[in-house]
Amino acid sequence: METQPDARVRDAESERTAEPERSTQSNSPGPAASGRWPVLTRVVLAVAIFCLIEAWIFHSSFYADLLKPGSAAGSVRTTLQVEQHRQVRDRNQVLGVGDSRMPLWPRLTDGLRGETGYTFANIATPGTYPRDWYYMLREVDPDRNRYSAILIPMYEYEDDDWGDQSGEEVDIHYLAPLLRLSDMFEFSMSFPTWKLRKRAMRAILLRGLTYKQDFRDLLEHQDERMRELKWTRENLAQARYDYRGPERNDVGLEVDWAAQKITNYPPGRTPAERAEFDMILLRPVGPNTGQRAAYRRLWFGRIAHYYSGTRTRLVFFRVPRGPFVRPYPTNATTSVVREMAARGDAILLDQDLLDELEHPEFFMDAVHLNAAGCERFNPILARAAARVLGPLSGGTH
Amino acid sequence: MLFNTVRFFVFLFVVLLLFYRGPRAWRKWVLLAASYYFYMSWNVRFVPLLLGLTCVDYFAALWITRSTGGRRKLALISSLAANLGFLGFFKYYNFLAEGLVQVMGLPTHSLALSIILPLGISFHTFQSISYVVDVYRGEQEAIRNPLDYALFIAFFPQLVAGPIVRAHDFFADLFHWSQPSPEELQRGILLVMLGLTKKVVLADQFAAVSDSYFNNIAGNPGAVTAWTGTIAFALQIFFDFSGYTDIAIGVAQLLGFHFPVNFRRPYLSQSITEFWRRWHISLSSWLRDYLYISLGGNRGGRWRTYRNLMLTMLLGGLWHGASWNFVVWGGYHGLLLSLERMLGSGKPKAASYFYPFRMAFTFALVCISWVFFRAANLHDSATVIGQMFSGVGGRSLFQTWHVVMTVVALCLAMLEEESGWFERLVRAPAYVYATAIAFLLLCIEMIGVTEASVPFVYFQS
Repeated sequence: METQPDARVRDAESERTAEPERSTQSNSPGPAASGRWPVLTRVVLAVAIFCLIEAWIFHSSFYADLLKPGSAAGSVRTTLQVEQHRQVRDRNQVLGVGDSRMPLWPRLTDGLRGETGYTFANIATPGTYPRDWYYMLREVDPDRNRYSAILIPMYEYEDDDWGDQSGEEVDIHYLAPLLRLSDMFEFSMSFPTWKLRKRAMRAILLRGLTYKQDFRDLLEHQDERMRELKWTRENLAQARYDYRGPERNDVGLEVDWAAQKITNYPPGRTPAERAEFDMILLRPVGPNTGQRAAYRRLWFGRIAHYYSGTRTRLVFFRVPRGPFVRPYPTNATTSVVREMAARGDAILLDQDLLDELEHPEFFMDAVHLNAAGCERFNPILARAAARVLGPLSGGTH
Repeated sequence: MLFNTVRFFVFLFVVLLLFYRGPRAWRKWVLLAASYYFYMSWNVRFVPLLLGLTCVDYFAALWITRSTGGRRKLALISSLAANLGFLGFFKYYNFLAEGLVQVMGLPTHSLALSIILPLGISFHTFQSISYVVDVYRGEQEAIRNPLDYALFIAFFPQLVAGPIVRAHDFFADLFHWSQPSPEELQRGILLVMLGLTKKVVLADQFAAVSDSYFNNIAGNPGAVTAWTGTIAFALQIFFDFSGYTDIAIGVAQLLGFHFPVNFRRPYLSQSITEFWRRWHISLSSWLRDYLYISLGGNRGGRWRTYRNLMLTMLLGGLWHGASWNFVVWGGYHGLLLSLERMLGSGKPKAASYFYPFRMAFTFALVCISWVFFRAANLHDSATVIGQMFSGVGGRSLFQTWHVVMTVVALCLAMLEEESGWFERLVRAPAYVYATAIAFLLLCIEMIGVTEASVPFVYFQS
């Protein structure tokens, strides 16, 4: 804005430094080197280099090893690593999958090995669903010969519609480290909306976008992350093995089913915990949409197909449903797992096998068993599984 | 349709395809249709306004050319009245009404109207004004073909936030259009990528820091907090606006048009005078040519020069937004420019050991002005300024990686100043060029804010 005195022309001339330069001039001295390389080649080369670096960082174990262990992707990765690194001595391995309601603890089943003959392991990860279990099993058992059986927990054998699990976006984050380019169509199209399908495709193609939050967290808390990773590498397996579960129970919980009201909560529960009791125990019975059946048919079907023609059997069982059993009728008209069992694709344990644990003293909240519940759950399940699996194969790897 | 969205890049791809693959005779139509589609994607209701102003200025310029004496002036005044009238109504009506209500003691909001600011009105009206004034001054011929003129006003790369393109530059490109050279295309692509990186990797990250401060000033006491929050905004607005400009210039270059450079590393300035030669250059040169010089420039002696500087910067401040904050922002810069002129400290300095200190001092002065630009009102601005000079500690809002990003950006700016790495990169061997683009893509993927597109700061102007 500074100008020279008196004349406007001189004003403008003196301001030549402030005069906008135009980006017109290429100022190229002589023949440009670019002439030899068409622009399109450079763009293609740039994309190729980007893809190579992206693949090296995100599609290998390079960044996956740095994932926050507590994140969705990190928890799946660390859980699977613990299982992959576990010494497998024979072919009599039984693996549990599932969510947080699957407290299969090797610490409690190892003691029964003489009696059952089987070694039990567990890759259950809180918040996961059957779609996740399929990809987790594929990752942990790529040759389909590591396990005698896969134990799969269910809340009900009937296909009770309660939320559409096919639209769970968090699955994209859980599975990001496990997905391959060949999963593009199958995985993406399993989501009900194009928005989610697009995100799923992006997670497979540009995994860095899915890890963005994790990467930013790493930038912000590098030291903390490194400490966490070190602890996880050195102690997680043992810590999980030694885990004893929470002692607290739901004694004191009272429900007036007729009035659809919880009349008394266990002592010391926070408003959020009380709301969870309401949500789980008093949820309304909705219409039968067939969504759950379709979802189970797809993903349990995939798991069954993955293990078809192998010695690995799928064993479904019903988890203890809660401190109280809801007396409301189910809206389900189908049972995918019963259909599978009828075809010989799966084994169903007696659905009342664990009913004795459906009491407040064995639960810590509306859905999870407490320490006492888990102590009882494991031997019952291990013995029942061994019974249906029959004699040991005796072979070793 | 923000520049930092997938939708824009799909749009751009289609435009480039139609532009280069379609018949030559259609090219202007393709650009005009694309520009109006781009404008309509924001708000279709303002298309008549854009068309109307285009018609008014097109005919005003022809009228000026064909008339003499008082009629020429009448044509000019009509055009200015239409442009400034619409700009004034949409942008400043509520601001003025609020002032009037306070003076007259009427109930609050009693005169207020629910007005949506048409996108880019501040930019395209300035562009129109410069064209009509140039025609009046005899520095530009009136454009005969209405299609050419409509394209000048609506050309989508610069429609919403500049740079403010002068008519003689634009029409030189339009009338003597030639196929961009491979080097120009490479420059265009690199500029688009660099601009996108500046926006989503740097500006949007610093936006999160500055928002956390300015949205809760009372909850973030202390001088260090105030300074880091303000510096974050200084970095946000620079990377945001210069990133937008880079994309605009790059897109124009891909279409064979050449926009003026709008930013030349302004935070390396050693004085406020130099800062304004490097910051939003197309606006500052517009203000100089069409306001400052029209007011008399420095022809009336020292005090008139200071008055003209103050008036220019006050109006320049008001151009940025209708609030007292922008008036103070402009006045502050006008005052500093006048002071530097008075002390003779605004003249270019040779490199010396004092350079870092002068640069840091200038940056601090600019940061103080950004407080008025960012804070919600004068009360908040005063609180922040008070905190900055309170001497009481506070905490840094920057994470280590913010500092690393800032240092890297500063080094790159200094290197560009010294050796012009950007042009070298444009002409570098293919593998170097491609690696640079790949690196930028990786930065966008890993650090960029891509989940939700954050609007550009200057879109509010």
